[in-house]
Amino acid sequence: MTIHLTIGWLYPKLMSTYGDRGNVICLERRCQWRNLDVSILPLDQDTDIKTFSEFDVIVGGGAQDRQQEIVMRDLHGEKAEIMKEKINTGIPGVFTCGSPQLLGNYYEPAIGQKIDGLGILDLVTKHPGQNVSRCIGNVAFDIVASPLLEDLKEMLGESPTVVGFENHGGRTYLGKVSPLGKVVRGYGNNGEDGFEGAFYQNSIATYAHGPLLPKNPFLADWLIIKAIEQKYQKKITLTPLDDSLANKGRKAMLKRILT
Amino acid sequence: MNILEGIRLGLAVGIAKTITSLVKLLKLGAASVLPGEIAGRLHPQLLRLLSQQLTQGLILVVGTNGKTTTSLLLKDILVNNGYKIIHNSTGANLINGLVTCLITHSNLWGKLTADYAILEVDENVLPLALKQCNPTHILALNLFRDQLDRYGEVDSISYRWQNAIESLSKDTFIIVNGDDPTLCYLGQNLSQKVLFFGLNEPELYLEEIPHAVDSIYCPKCGTSLNYRGVYLSHLGDYDCPNCDFAKSKLSVNSQEWQQILIGVYNKYNTLAAGLVAETIGIKKEIINETITNFKAAFGRAEELTINDKKIRILLSKNPVGMNETIRAVNDIKKHNLSSTLLMVLNDRIPDGTDVSWIWDVDTEKLVEIGGNIVVSGDRVYDMALRLKYSVDTLDSAMNLIVEENLSQAVNKALELTPLNETLYIIPTYSAMLEVRKLLLGREIL
Repeated sequence: MTIHLTIGWLYPKLMSTYGDRGNVICLERRCQWRNLDVSILPLDQDTDIKTFSEFDVIVGGGAQDRQQEIVMRDLHGEKAEIMKEKINTGIPGVFTCGSPQLLGNYYEPAIGQKIDGLGILDLVTKHPGQNVSRCIGNVAFDIVASPLLEDLKEMLGESPTVVGFENHGGRTYLGKVSPLGKVVRGYGNNGEDGFEGAFYQNSIATYAHGPLLPKNPFLADWLIIKAIEQKYQKKITLTPLDDSLANKGRKAMLKRILT
Repeated sequence: MNILEGIRLGLAVGIAKTITSLVKLLKLGAASVLPGEIAGRLHPQLLRLLSQQLTQGLILVVGTNGKTTTSLLLKDILVNNGYKIIHNSTGANLINGLVTCLITHSNLWGKLTADYAILEVDENVLPLALKQCNPTHILALNLFRDQLDRYGEVDSISYRWQNAIESLSKDTFIIVNGDDPTLCYLGQNLSQKVLFFGLNEPELYLEEIPHAVDSIYCPKCGTSLNYRGVYLSHLGDYDCPNCDFAKSKLSVNSQEWQQILIGVYNKYNTLAAGLVAETIGIKKEIINETITNFKAAFGRAEELTINDKKIRILLSKNPVGMNETIRAVNDIKKHNLSSTLLMVLNDRIPDGTDVSWIWDVDTEKLVEIGGNIVVSGDRVYDMALRLKYSVDTLDSAMNLIVEENLSQAVNKALELTPLNETLYIIPTYSAMLEVRKLLLGREIL
């Protein structure tokens, strides 16, 4: 069986403010290094509706305010329906910072009107005002979402702690959606309830830049496995890769922020 | 200034100068910020009172990349023309640093004797600085994504600059980079004496627009801009397909200018300083002569010789800067003049604590060409990972050497560099200071 995966990249020119394209690069390379066929499909204003649905895994990053507005104006109607359908049926994805806000119920900016999201993730985001400090710094959290946690334990033999860098003004509050992780260091969703991110079907939403996947490659491999399973309806084991650089980096960061 | 004001000014300056001497005597640091902080508390109008004593004028230099190099070139040109110049050469560019710089150059009574002050100003601080002084020139070099954890966004910075500049005298010269759409639009909206510099050399167009680009949308209507070509990041020849926004007419013909140092970014730095000098009325011969004789500032494209080996440090602190460094280094590598690089990534306050920006750099181009790459710094593994993920196969032409200990990394990189080649070091800001200290035994010249 020849495996071919298409990585859908949400608005690459508008939503890649904090190095989040690293998540796309990570998925692409980890497929290439295993001789799996892979291609990247930009999902933006220029993508026609027919092509818009042709992805097997989806990546979304953060955006500056003006750019986020352009995205929110473009992503409605048929494109929004495709996104909903895909995410609801378990096409895997990773969404960082601005894009989970987009997938949530609404975003309430510091100034101006509430912006409606796609309502795929049951969460809301509110900006507490420009005089309230942003949540900035290195972040570490333990994965708590099920069945992600169980899958990762099986892959790694232990439950992993994820590291990243958060930088957000908005505070996110979860409704009926499970959190991705429990904060070990940092602010997480809102700096109050101790949770970070959200997990729904096979989608990971997080405030952790870094970027998330190269620094925590087990999450990348989990997404690749899910993408193949969804597309080919077949269980798969991936060839192991040498992740010693990422592991050393994570270890060094945890040592630094936990002591 | 009345007598009472004069006494108060003298007092504030006197105390600040005493602190400077103490800090230096006790070897506590370079005293480039603290005296200004304390004097500023004693007298909040210090920036105005000191800067208005300049006989010719005050030149503020803002922009993400190139402030120091451009300021140093402009300073040299003005000095060669016989002017007495003050410049915040240590790079301390917040309000306290500006005040400290002026105090350092005044006497105990707060009397300043200089013709021009060239002050590099942090992009976020410009609006505040403009409330406290009246510059004769503002030079706006570029606006790139840099240290978002500290600054916020390019759009909002440009908006705040516009608001702050609007209230200045109509005689103020505003010299902006016309190749930068955000700045060009800013210039078009100002009623001061606005002049534009930029390139008109299509042979320098990049083959594709790099990923680390912020402003490819029309600053007026938000439509995607139409680029005939890009020189560097989002700097290029453009117009808007939807509204009447287009690049303004430039006041310089870049084809007629030689440049300092290497790289396209230094072409911009040269034109920027040159245009300011022209508005001051300095003769073209003096400008040209200074350009020919210009030597790099510390850390920025500076050349050193250690144990008979040539080393060049190329400060790279954001995606645009690093992309340009890679472009320059690859040019040299193609001529087999360098086989080894040392990249040092730190995440301290002056570097920006978020290092995810390295993923917006097109490191693929660096790795493609092969050679030894030694990596080190606080975030050595982040840098190493970025390079590892720059190739689509597990065996690449690059020899990646990961070394946590900076001193050993420097030694290793020197060892790998043959005598007839140059070692290129690509550090972030605090990493540059550390590398210099290791190489020269001191941080700053």
